Amino acid sequence: MKKLVRFFILGFFAVSLFTSCAKQPSQEMTDTRAAVEAAIKEGADVYAADEQKKLNDDLTAALDEIATQDKKFFKKFGTAKEMLAKVKADAEALKAAIPAKKEAAKNAALTAQQEARAALDEAKAFLEKAPKGKGTKADIEAFTADLKGLEDSFPEIQAAIDREDFFGASNTAAMIKEKAAGVSEQIKQAIEKVKGKR
Amino acid sequence: MKTARIFALAGLTIFILSCQTPPLPSEVEHAREQENNLWRAGAAVYAPEEYTQYLASLRLAKDMFIKEKAKFGWFRNYKEVEAGFQEVLTRGQALLQSVEEKKALKSRTLSEQLETLRERIQRIWKLILTVNETQVVRRSLARAEVAMMESEALLGKEKYAEISRKIAVIQFHLGQAEEAVFSILARYAEEAQVETWRRWAMETIAESRKKGATAILITKLDRTLTVYRGGKVAAVYNIGLGKYGLSDKLYAGDEATPEGRYKVIKKIPQSRFHKALLIDYPNDEDKKEFSQAKKKGLIPPQAGIGGLIEIHGGGEDSLTGGCVAVEDSVMDKLFNEVSIGTPVTIIGSTESVAELLASLK
Repeated sequence: MKKLVRFFILGFFAVSLFTSCAKQPSQEMTDTRAAVEAAIKEGADVYAADEQKKLNDDLTAALDEIATQDKKFFKKFGTAKEMLAKVKADAEALKAAIPAKKEAAKNAALTAQQEARAALDEAKAFLEKAPKGKGTKADIEAFTADLKGLEDSFPEIQAAIDREDFFGASNTAAMIKEKAAGVSEQIKQAIEKVKGKR
Repeated sequence: MKTARIFALAGLTIFILSCQTPPLPSEVEHAREQENNLWRAGAAVYAPEEYTQYLASLRLAKDMFIKEKAKFGWFRNYKEVEAGFQEVLTRGQALLQSVEEKKALKSRTLSEQLETLRERIQRIWKLILTVNETQVVRRSLARAEVAMMESEALLGKEKYAEISRKIAVIQFHLGQAEEAVFSILARYAEEAQVETWRRWAMETIAESRKKGATAILITKLDRTLTVYRGGKVAAVYNIGLGKYGLSDKLYAGDEATPEGRYKVIKKIPQSRFHKALLIDYPNDEDKKEFSQAKKKGLIPPQAGIGGLIEIHGGGEDSLTGGCVAVEDSVMDKLFNEVSIGTPVTIIGSTESVAELLASLK
C-alpha cells in the first residue's frame, strides 16, 4: 500500500514537472508582435508587401503552434519559441531593410522629377528658339499653353514626394516627361514647317 | 511470471506501434495557399465582407485542427477537420472567383470611363482647332491628359482606387476646358445669331448672282474665304484669324475679327503682309454697336473703334490682330480678281454648334 502511495505521489510530481515547467512564451509573443508591428509602422506593407504578408503568416503559424501546445497535456513550447524567434528576427531584418527601400523609391521619384523638369525645360528652350512672327504666333501661343498646363501639373510630383507617395510621384513625373517630349516634337515639326515655307 | 511480463511488454509495444498517428490533412496546406492567393488577388479590397467571413471560417477550421493536433497521436481523428477545411476551400474558391469577377468589372468600368473621357478630350481638341483663343483650354487639356496617361498606367497595375481619384482630376480639368470652349462658342449656338449670319450670306450670294459680280464670304468658324462669281462658288481658301478671331470686333486692340457686310475700299499692292485688301470697317452698324457698348461700360473708356481691317497675305497659320490672313499665293489671285467695291461679308457660321456643344456635356 505504502508503495502504491509513493508511486502516485512520485507520478503526481513527475506530471506536475512536465506540465508546469512548460509555460506559454508570453514575453516572446509580445516581443515578436511588437517587432512585426514595428516593421509595419516603418512602411513594410507599402515597400515590402509580400514579405510583410509572410511575416504575418509566420506569426499566425507560431501562435497556432502555441495554441496547439497549450491544449496538450505535455506542453512543449520549444518549436513555438523557435518559430517566434525566427519571425522576430525576420521582422527586425525587414524593418531594417525598409529605409533603404524607401530611400530607393524616393531617389527614383526624385530622378523622375528631374527628368520631367529637364524635358519641360527642353521643350521651353525649343519654344524660345522657334521663329517668332505673325505666321507662328498661333502655334507658339498654343504650345506655351500646353507647357503651362504641364508646369501646373509639375508641383503634383513634389506634393506626392512630400506625402511619401514615391511611386505616385514617379508615375506623375514619367507622364509629364512623356507629354513634354511630345510637345517638343510638335514644336520641332512646327519649326520645320516654317523653315520649309521659307 | 517473467515470461508473462515479456509477453505483456511485447503486446504493448505491438499495440503502440499499430496505433499510427494519422497524417496531417492536405487541406490545411491547400487552405494556406488559397488564403495567400486571395490576399494577392486583393480580396480585402474588392470583397472585404466576404473576405472577413472567409478568414473567420478559416480560423474556426484552424482551431479545430489545433484541438485535434493537441490530442495524443492515437486519438487524433482529422475527419471533421478535413470536412471543415473542405468547406473553407469551397468558400475560398467561390470568393476568389467573385474577387476576380469584381476586379474585371471594375477594370471594365474604369476603362469605359476613361474611354468616355478620352472621347471628350478628342472632341475638345477638334473644337479648339477652329478656335485661336485656346490658352485656357489647352492648359486645362494638358493637365487632363497627364492625369489620363497616369490613369492608363495605373490600369495596367490594377490600382483601381487611384484611378478613380485620377478620373476626378481629369473631369475637373476637362470641365474647365469645356467651360472655356463654351464661353468662346456660345454665340455660335444661338439660333437668332446664326440666322442673321445665314441671311447675310444669302444676301451676299444673291447680290453676286444678280449683278454677275464677285463677292467674298468669310466664315470664321470654318476658317474659310469663299469667292463667289455670279452667285456660284469660284474658290474656297483657308484663312487665319486673330487670337480672339471668333469674337465680333468691338474696339481697337481687342484682336477680334469684325462681323458684317463690308466692301473692299483699297487695294494695297505692297503690304507688310505681302498684299492687302482693306475693307470699310467700321460700318454704320459697327459704329452703333461701339457707341452702345461704350455707354454700357462694356469696353475701356479710352478705347477707340479701331480700323484697318484687311484681307492680307502672310499665311493661313497667321495669328492676326483682327485681320483675315491667307497664303501669299492666294493673296496674289485675290488681288488680281477683286476690285474696289467688291462685297466682303464676314460671318461666324451658317451652322449652329448647339449640337456640338451639347455633345460636350
